[in-house]
Amino acid sequence: MDDEDYQSPPWRKWLVNRFVMTPLIILLIAGAWDLYANTHNSGLVEGTVVDAAGNPVAGADVTLWTFNFTTFSEKGRTTSGPDGRFTFTDNPSHHIQVSATKPGVGSSQRRPIRLFFQSQDTRIQEPFVLSGGA
Amino acid sequence: MRHYPRWPIHLILLVASFIMLVPFYWVLKTSVSGENIFTYPPNIIPRNPHLFYYVDVWYAIPFARYFLNSVIVSVLTIAANVIFNAMAGYALTRGFRGKNLVLMLFLSCMMVPFQATIIPAYLITGKLGLLDSYLGLALPQFSTIICIFVFKASFDAVPKSLIDAAKIDGLSEWRIIWKVMMPLAKSAMATNIILSFIWSWNNFLWPLIMTRSADMQTLPLGLSRFLSYQEDTTGALYAFCVMVLAPGILLFLLAQKEFIQGLTSGATKG
Repeated sequence: MDDEDYQSPPWRKWLVNRFVMTPLIILLIAGAWDLYANTHNSGLVEGTVVDAAGNPVAGADVTLWTFNFTTFSEKGRTTSGPDGRFTFTDNPSHHIQVSATKPGVGSSQRRPIRLFFQSQDTRIQEPFVLSGGA
Repeated sequence: MRHYPRWPIHLILLVASFIMLVPFYWVLKTSVSGENIFTYPPNIIPRNPHLFYYVDVWYAIPFARYFLNSVIVSVLTIAANVIFNAMAGYALTRGFRGKNLVLMLFLSCMMVPFQATIIPAYLITGKLGLLDSYLGLALPQFSTIICIFVFKASFDAVPKSLIDAAKIDGLSEWRIIWKVMMPLAKSAMATNIILSFIWSWNNFLWPLIMTRSADMQTLPLGLSRFLSYQEDTTGALYAFCVMVLAPGILLFLLAQKEFIQGLTSGATKG
């Protein structure tokens, strides 16, 4: 036993070792993730609808599909605003698909979107391009 | 003294390590890529890796509940193994009438598979009213013969004079175990902890038979349930495997030095 062992308090030996510190660090990371998930899970899904030329499309029907065990089922519908933006506020899932359509302008492909936790607030960066409606 | 080059043994060890680690890498790779295991030619580096299969597993079954169940059962098993095996191991280092018979009995019991005793184990657990409970899940694994011998080998290495000195100081047999023997048998304790954890964590048959409610199921049962839920789920299945394996691997990595010492203690003289 060296001098350091005599000087260090007993709790240090029990707490500062790999058997305690490793689970503690894992718990801290899990806690931080849980905190983040609980403050970013209002079910918000935002995106933009544009036409083939890249102009915003107002009044497009946007559909949200959620993964239901083995298949995707329709969860909700909304309409894009004047700037082509749409918002869903009640997405309950972590595995969704979104599609947009407007008569006369065209339809977008149904796009799968994966989230890291259920109801995660997300903004879809790539706009939904409507085509094939002429 | 002639020194032989070390590189041949290092090369052999590297090749052996590679062979042993490839399956782990493959499971990890498939869990982030979802690539079909029969894809030819196989991709060594995962294409478009992501963590969403882990998210799928988390929500497909009550993973947190199963994980908690497995942790509780494993902690019970570990605590009981360390206490009971230490007591049995210490008893076997002492001289008493019929000791060799007991040793023979232990060794012969090792040859009886658990499947052969599962019906009496179930009936006893049922009579005790422990079916579908944490204690009932852990009970058949409260003591394992291999781990008793690990403790015995470790205690055998302690000089008799130390035990005699403890007796002269007035320590009872009980306190000799906990105050003298156990601090000297840390590696045996680590071996007990790791082995009992792995056996408890991976146990499938006993929880399958004795749990009745879905809330009491452990992770191996959850894996089986998950397979019955979804068929086309290569990535999620491998992600589940990683999530089940990770605690065991972590525990082994944390205590590997003590584990190896525990397994080899008593193997050599001097």
